[in-house]
Amino acid sequence: MQFIKTSFLLTSLTAGMLLAGCSSKLDVQPVNDISNTTALATSSDVEATLVGAYDGLGSGELYGGNLLRDGELVGDNGELLWQGTFTDVRAIYRRNIINDNAQVSRTWLDAYRAINIANTVLDNLATVDAAKRARVEGEAKFIRGSLFFELVRFYAKTWGDGDNAANLGIPIVLKGTTLIDVTANVARSPIATVYDQVIKDLTEAEGKLPATNGFFATKGAAAAQLSRVYLQKLDYPNAAAAASRVIAGGQYTLAPTVDQAFDLRTFINGSNTAETIFAIQVTDQDGVNNLNTFYTSAQYGGRGSDITITNKHLAIYDAADDRGNLFYQDENNYVRTIKFVNVYGNVQVFRLAEMYLTRAEANFRAGTTTGATPLADVNVIRVRAGLPALTTAQLSVTSILRERRLELAFEGTLIHDLKRTRSSTQYSATVFAWNSPRLVYPIPLREINSNPALVQNTGY
Amino acid sequence: MRKILLLLLGVLGLLTQSATAQDRQVTGKVTSAEDGQALPGVSVVVKGTARGTQTDANGGYTISLPKNAGSLVFSFVGTNTKELSVGSQSTLNVVMTNDSRSLDEVVVVGYGSESKRNLTGNIASVSSRDIQNVPVPSVEQALQGKVAGVQITSLNGKLGQGLQIRVRGSSSVTASNQPLYVIDGIPVTSQDQSSSTAPTNPIADLNFNDIESLQILKDASASAIYGSRASNGVVLITTKKGRAGKTQFELSGFYGGSTPTHKREFLNTQEYVSYVQGALANSAALGQDPFSQADLAGIFTQLTGGDRAAWEQAKVNTNWQDQIYQKAPIQQYDLSARGGDAKTRFFISGGYSDQNGILIKNRFQRLSGRVNLDHSATDKLTIGVNLNVARTTNNRLSNDNAFSTPMQIVALPFFTPLTDAAGNISSDYTLYYNPLLNRDFSSNVTTVNRLFGNVYADYKIVPGLSFRTELGTDQLIQRENQYYGRETARNISTPNGQGFDSWTQVSNYTTNNFLTFGQTFKQKHDVDATVGVSYQESTRTYNDLTAQQYPSDAYKQISSAAKVTGGNGNLSTFSFLSYFARANYRFNNRYLLGVSGRVDGSSRFGANNRYGFFPAASAGWILTEESFLKNIPALSLLKLRASYGITGNAEIGNFSSRGLYSGLASYAGALGQAGVAGVPGQVPSQIANPDLKWEKTAQSDFGLEFGFLNNRISGEVDYYIKKTSDLLLNVNVPGSTGFRTQLRNIGALENKGIEFVLNTQNTTGAFQWTTSLNIAHNTNKITNLNKQVIQGGFVNRAIEGQPIGVFFTREYAGVDPANGDALYYKNTTKADGTIDRTTVNADNINQAQQVVVGTPNPTYIGGVTNTFAYKGIDLSVLFQGQFGNQIFNGGGQYMSANGDYFDNQTRDQLNSWKKPGDITSVPQARLYGGNGTANSSRYLQKGDFVRLKSVTLGYSLPKTLVSKIGLTRVRVYASGVNLLTFTKYTGWDPEVNADYLAAGASGNISLGNDFYSAPQARTITGGLTIGF
Repeated sequence: MQFIKTSFLLTSLTAGMLLAGCSSKLDVQPVNDISNTTALATSSDVEATLVGAYDGLGSGELYGGNLLRDGELVGDNGELLWQGTFTDVRAIYRRNIINDNAQVSRTWLDAYRAINIANTVLDNLATVDAAKRARVEGEAKFIRGSLFFELVRFYAKTWGDGDNAANLGIPIVLKGTTLIDVTANVARSPIATVYDQVIKDLTEAEGKLPATNGFFATKGAAAAQLSRVYLQKLDYPNAAAAASRVIAGGQYTLAPTVDQAFDLRTFINGSNTAETIFAIQVTDQDGVNNLNTFYTSAQYGGRGSDITITNKHLAIYDAADDRGNLFYQDENNYVRTIKFVNVYGNVQVFRLAEMYLTRAEANFRAGTTTGATPLADVNVIRVRAGLPALTTAQLSVTSILRERRLELAFEGTLIHDLKRTRSSTQYSATVFAWNSPRLVYPIPLREINSNPALVQNTGY
Repeated sequence: MRKILLLLLGVLGLLTQSATAQDRQVTGKVTSAEDGQALPGVSVVVKGTARGTQTDANGGYTISLPKNAGSLVFSFVGTNTKELSVGSQSTLNVVMTNDSRSLDEVVVVGYGSESKRNLTGNIASVSSRDIQNVPVPSVEQALQGKVAGVQITSLNGKLGQGLQIRVRGSSSVTASNQPLYVIDGIPVTSQDQSSSTAPTNPIADLNFNDIESLQILKDASASAIYGSRASNGVVLITTKKGRAGKTQFELSGFYGGSTPTHKREFLNTQEYVSYVQGALANSAALGQDPFSQADLAGIFTQLTGGDRAAWEQAKVNTNWQDQIYQKAPIQQYDLSARGGDAKTRFFISGGYSDQNGILIKNRFQRLSGRVNLDHSATDKLTIGVNLNVARTTNNRLSNDNAFSTPMQIVALPFFTPLTDAAGNISSDYTLYYNPLLNRDFSSNVTTVNRLFGNVYADYKIVPGLSFRTELGTDQLIQRENQYYGRETARNISTPNGQGFDSWTQVSNYTTNNFLTFGQTFKQKHDVDATVGVSYQESTRTYNDLTAQQYPSDAYKQISSAAKVTGGNGNLSTFSFLSYFARANYRFNNRYLLGVSGRVDGSSRFGANNRYGFFPAASAGWILTEESFLKNIPALSLLKLRASYGITGNAEIGNFSSRGLYSGLASYAGALGQAGVAGVPGQVPSQIANPDLKWEKTAQSDFGLEFGFLNNRISGEVDYYIKKTSDLLLNVNVPGSTGFRTQLRNIGALENKGIEFVLNTQNTTGAFQWTTSLNIAHNTNKITNLNKQVIQGGFVNRAIEGQPIGVFFTREYAGVDPANGDALYYKNTTKADGTIDRTTVNADNINQAQQVVVGTPNPTYIGGVTNTFAYKGIDLSVLFQGQFGNQIFNGGGQYMSANGDYFDNQTRDQLNSWKKPGDITSVPQARLYGGNGTANSSRYLQKGDFVRLKSVTLGYSLPKTLVSKIGLTRVRVYASGVNLLTFTKYTGWDPEVNADYLAAGASGNISLGNDFYSAPQARTITGGLTIGF
């Protein structure tokens, strides 16, 4: 009996000790990631989050390449050939998009993801050192404004296609998400409201950003984006003024020859060129250059035969045009653009040449000479490309737009230029008018399903 | 909780005291009729009581029994149960005879064992002889078709890959649906450890020839003792133990080879050229041609590497599919020794298995050793160790979605020559990356060193009350080493080679401490009980490095690379602290009652819901013990049982409840660091849910067990309802929040089903024929998802009112006979409430509503085994099947796309529409036409199949002969797996689920998809087993 008691006691003791020791063991803290309650404690925490927002902006679905790639695919008139296997991208190229197109969904999700990070930074500005606060605010607003602009251009009707105050734009979210409840079901704001927000963000960004800022956004970057916004809403005086501010700022110089405007090295960490206003940074360790992935042959790290350039495009260049030499024949004899040949090259979002062309067009259309005459601006670009200067008689909207197309070919502006100039696009024999619903992305089906406040676009 | 435990301990102590007073002792020895050897480990139970013991190493036993005890019941796995009346004897010796029916065997349950007769829960048992020497890497594959209600799917024909196991259907949408694996009492790591999206299976590290028995706990009363991890069923694996007596050696080995079960047919050069040219002409006629016929000729010539005659004159006809299968020898050798004496028993084994896959470079090797040792230190104290070390080496392949996976070679047209002019395999001119380059210039080897085992001490405090403590560990150390030479540049996007090296360590520590009590009162009341505590801690550390730019292909280690381009290091821990108890009560040997419960605490759950309680209750009635049935000779057993209980599912991420920030940007568009070009960054990575808790499954089970004609016909029928609530669900949230999903406890689903098992002994005597049949029917239905639509796979969905993973897409309406357009039913609801069955073509496909067009869940699964034995010859034949499910061919949009692109096409595409009036299901071929290639029911097919899963024919040499050469047993056999498949599915194999989808975030929904998935292997082996 004594023995029973002893063992009984021992057992209970063992068990008891075990329990006492273990309860605290359930409090396991994550070490790879950190808790949201401690993540934003200091100024440097918020600054690191800002870098995270840049990382989001540089997603392969956004300025990491696909946004620019798809701007060319949707606008194509037979100057390139999409032979890639991705059926979702092919649907964009064929302008026959289904409402559950995965590319359309990923672009949307990644854009709002970066917007949320930027919003989180803005919500925590008070934590940022006073000396850095304006810059941080400017950068976050640059990122947010830029993405609202890209979203409204792809997912809503073009500015001026009907009533901008009635046509639906995209949901505007200005606060970081800390809790998800019914207030997360944000409806689409009218296009005019979205443009107002974009201009507000970018204007404030331009005011707060420094002239130089490493490879992050600068005053010039915000002004460059503003010039695009104004151009898109056909506000030529403001477009010319914004472009002129970039040029007059003097931070960027045109590369002496056009090939030097691009990083033509291969398999090496990217670097900006003299005329880069803003670029997504890519290294062999991080970041993606999806323009390389899709435009470049396998020997330079691309996917292979996804996007090749057709003779129709090559035929546009004059024989003397140096830009006609920015192509190469790959191992399969396909013609490729050389602009994205470096697999670890930065993805240029704005470069100075565009500002000259924007100012020229805006001044020409508005009948102004903000900063310079349209003729002078166009000829800066032509002469650099090895072409003779145009005469006043040769200068027209058509000749300016032709210069713009050749200079910026495959850099992602095509569909937006076509829409604002009310020009059609074409796939094979099928023509799509500038305001065709086929040229507007659907609101992603997963978004319609998860947010009852959203209304789908026409045709989806 | 602690108070309850102490109280229970106290009660047990009191009961023990009162029960010990009136005992007397009986001793004896148990031997085997077969060879006269002593049989250790035989269960000896006082009939009608819970009081029992086991024979020791010499087959001896001592049992104390109540004065009026009638008889003793002796049972042992694989033998007939004997019941002998005690009378006034004090010595009772028993000879046990072999029995293949084993109706009254002892089965392992959570923290103990029980007689099957007294079970009130549903437990499926599989013994070693059902699974040994099956030529597959992992034990679950050897179970296919043998266990009612357990669906086991190999994702594809690649070796060492993860498997999909479903016990009574899927019980979760987001958390894991795989069962918990417990080896010799210790939960082990069974989750995918692969750093690629092709999953691995850590259970393959176990040499299953070491397994004595395997139990699958299916209903709540059996599994609730495993609480929060039991909803998906629990697999209890018990390894072989030592037996006292002369040391018995067994040497076995087999050798054989594998071939694919099926190949698909693709267009040859002539067919392809004219088909694609026609497709371009068709597009041109519609004004939708992307380029001219001359351009197409140029493309063809490029794809041949510049040899126009190769396609124009069909000079080259490369059947690419034939290049990716390899000769696949398979061999395995095992040597074991089993023996011991009264004090110490041992089982020692070593095994080597080398299996080559049917696909090039795919191989799985396992070297394993085991020591199981039991030592009786005193009459009361037994201590022991079970220890298993293993090393597996798996030469792996890219996932099914990679251009470099061998199966994707079928996309290449036949006119592309196998080698270039210089005789080299090349990717310079092939349509896609040539996977044969990976065969020649890459390696992808995963090596796992695994140690699992436990030490235990079992102390009999007094007769009827014992305490057992177990301390177990499972150490998994894995290295994944990959190297891609410069020839694979097109695949790796870098010119001078790429290497990847990862190390994973998963350390599991578990301790179980429990008291077991068994006693009989007044001859009619049997009580047994278990109460204990368990703690598990598991830590996973992982790091990897990626590097590029090697001096030459001869250098393969990271240190030779000029650039290190990526690195990861992380650590993650979870812990479970649990208290459990079980009590069974039997009255008059016929009325059975059981209750069990577990309180689980886990680090994985929200601060507000850290502990959960999982109770179960069950009852049984053995009708054949009643006087009104007892005297019907034909009726051997009739037993009714019912159970109800609640189990949980805790298989989610370790920190899923927390709001997190991360230095990694792990989402589709921007993998890698959240920083930019060396500047550090962080991003919000997860939105918090502090209320997160267990998913709960309430399961009811009603069972009937029967036996007729002296158990020559026996079986059981079960009906169950499993209702899961508080689903752990990755709920889609508006993307405009910056997040995609949030893990919440929302929704409910249910599984209902019937399981039927029938075992018959058709003949007795010299020629023995037995049949074992199991059929299970399960219906899965999601009853509440809070209106969520959750997508997975290509077109899989989780939708309220539907089974999990239904195929939800546009309904294909065939081909317009007038113009060859692919048509889709609109399926929109008209104003009057009826469904609009008019059709639209591909250009207007957005008008076609997506609807449920099929399900990946089989309605019936089953298997039937027939065994025959005659004078040393034995034959076993297993057919396995599943019915009622569909398969979606996600590769159809490429390989069966009526010439939409340059991918080679399956031969059925030749039936495409050609002229007005043609009736066909294949739309007009149009290059770049998108004519019918969108996801739709066009790519859905019935997945029913019946398979001749295995056949084994063996011959055991007569004992008189073998004993002359000093042996005890010699058996030769030939065995085949997957010999025949009967199916209407036209893909490679109906047992399929594309690996990269099954392992993905929505893997539970992504069911029944085929995507260039390798067929299963048909394996034929010959083997020899020698005992001495």
